[in-house]
Amino acid sequence: MTKPLTHIERGLAALQNEPVDRLTTYPLAMGVNRRLVNGGVTYREWAHDPKLYAQSFIEGQKKYDFDFAIGLMDLSVMAGDLGAHVRFDQENTPFVDKHIIHDPEDYEKLEVPDITKGRSAVLLEGTKLFAQALKNDVITAGFVEGPLLALSQSAGAERLFLDLALNPSAVHGALETLTEYDSRLVEGFAETGAAGLCWDYLWGNYSCLGDAEYHEFEAQYAHKLNKLTRDKGLAVCIHNCADMPHLDTQIKEYKPAIYSMAYYPFNPDSPSASKVIADGYADDALIGGNIDPQLFLSGTEAQIRKATSEVTQEVKTALCKRGLKSRYCIASGCEIPPDVATRLENIGAVVDVVKKEGSIQY
Amino acid sequence: MSKEEILKKISDAVVNGKPAVAKEGSEEALKNGVRPIEAINDGLVRGMAIVGDRFAQHQAYLPQVLISSQALYAGLDVLLPAIPKGESVAKKTVAVAVVEGDVHDIGKNILKTLIIAGGYQVIDLGRDVPTEEVLAATESKKPDVLALSTLMTPTMLSIRDAVDGLKESGYRSKVLVAVGGAPVSQTFSDEIGADHKDNDAIHHVAWLKEVL
Repeated sequence: MTKPLTHIERGLAALQNEPVDRLTTYPLAMGVNRRLVNGGVTYREWAHDPKLYAQSFIEGQKKYDFDFAIGLMDLSVMAGDLGAHVRFDQENTPFVDKHIIHDPEDYEKLEVPDITKGRSAVLLEGTKLFAQALKNDVITAGFVEGPLLALSQSAGAERLFLDLALNPSAVHGALETLTEYDSRLVEGFAETGAAGLCWDYLWGNYSCLGDAEYHEFEAQYAHKLNKLTRDKGLAVCIHNCADMPHLDTQIKEYKPAIYSMAYYPFNPDSPSASKVIADGYADDALIGGNIDPQLFLSGTEAQIRKATSEVTQEVKTALCKRGLKSRYCIASGCEIPPDVATRLENIGAVVDVVKKEGSIQY
Repeated sequence: MSKEEILKKISDAVVNGKPAVAKEGSEEALKNGVRPIEAINDGLVRGMAIVGDRFAQHQAYLPQVLISSQALYAGLDVLLPAIPKGESVAKKTVAVAVVEGDVHDIGKNILKTLIIAGGYQVIDLGRDVPTEEVLAATESKKPDVLALSTLMTPTMLSIRDAVDGLKESGYRSKVLVAVGGAPVSQTFSDEIGADHKDNDAIHHVAWLKEVL
């Protein structure tokens, strides 16, 4: 049995596949944490005020005792700052309801916004505040949308996917602009004190794009951004909650330190935790997953304890078979629903089960 | 050009994502006396079914499906108005909608295309559709299936509201309800009393073929 470790020691050990006292855990509690601030703030307040945003992660850490803190706001930050209209409902994740790309000519009109203004600035400042506050407790990371995701939010997914086929040069022009926008954000995140930066490369999904399209429209830009991220001293992390992620590209090629993913049991092509480990993807990256996020909303505490226990046992067995020591973080496959009806006790239950059942005999 | 050659031209245009060719082939079909329904089923729908199969087998991806669906609709724009009154396009009808509070409709639009390719008629109620509109359209247009979807967790409640509304109005027993979208789980589907849950269009069409 390994001696008790701090969160940071445990996280670092897991990243290096060293022995741990127990597996790491980080249910992806982001927007839901706004309920812990001042008795609960609205999504609009939370996503516009860096202090409220940061405080939610600080309160989440106090309440749940996570092993990591990663600062996702929502997936309309970049599109909104590019000029798209973002709808803010009181308790709903903000989303783009009016796109800014309507014709192929609109792609070249995109301009990199000033990241010291808008919600880009809120995201950077909020990340800085929670990264500074939690730097002695956990490994922290910012969160940013990849260029293809940000473009799909600006154009609408259907418009964009059509233009991949019909107007590829216009799309590439826009992706160059968004890569520049992302580059400036990377430089901003490098000043926050966060240890890593988590990229959302959502469209690396075989339900949407094949290898050829994905390489053409994202991988070439992602390589540049991943390199810049590392050059700026940040660990590259990736989140992809798609059902059939491009694991070879996003893990073997991109070589992230952490790869967060989901599992869709109804889809036979969706890889389970044990399959991901058996196929060697945890050999070089700390894999995070894959509790069904909906269980936090609709499941009872007993149900989520059972689900957590099952995935923990599955992971421990698979790691042992593969000869790995610690390269899996018990997490939700995607963000915990930030809904007001999400059962907060279910978040604590996941952490509690991993603390009790996540130890590994070496 | 023989009838078979015209139908193949239409089908190939859909497979290859050529809207102008699909339109041209559909016009040629009408000029040459091909019945519109035959041109739809043996040309447009046949082509889209090939694309759907390739999509299911991961030999084609969203961009290809979308440009093929453009060709499908280009042909339908020509052929649907030419159908003689009283001759129905399809016996069974599916209404599709993204529920109130959500504007993400790419999934709904893919589903719509593949349902048409499956040989059914589709009533597209749109996106961010108020619950009252879903209920009114269901009762007035009388689809065999009502397919409701959302991409976001909070708006799943709008799906629940629509199903509850159908129960309250007494219409629930007259329509099959299917639900879908990334956050929609089987548990949620069971809780609200839906008849079916799917998270991809291919399986949904397979289910339609079982129940309709």
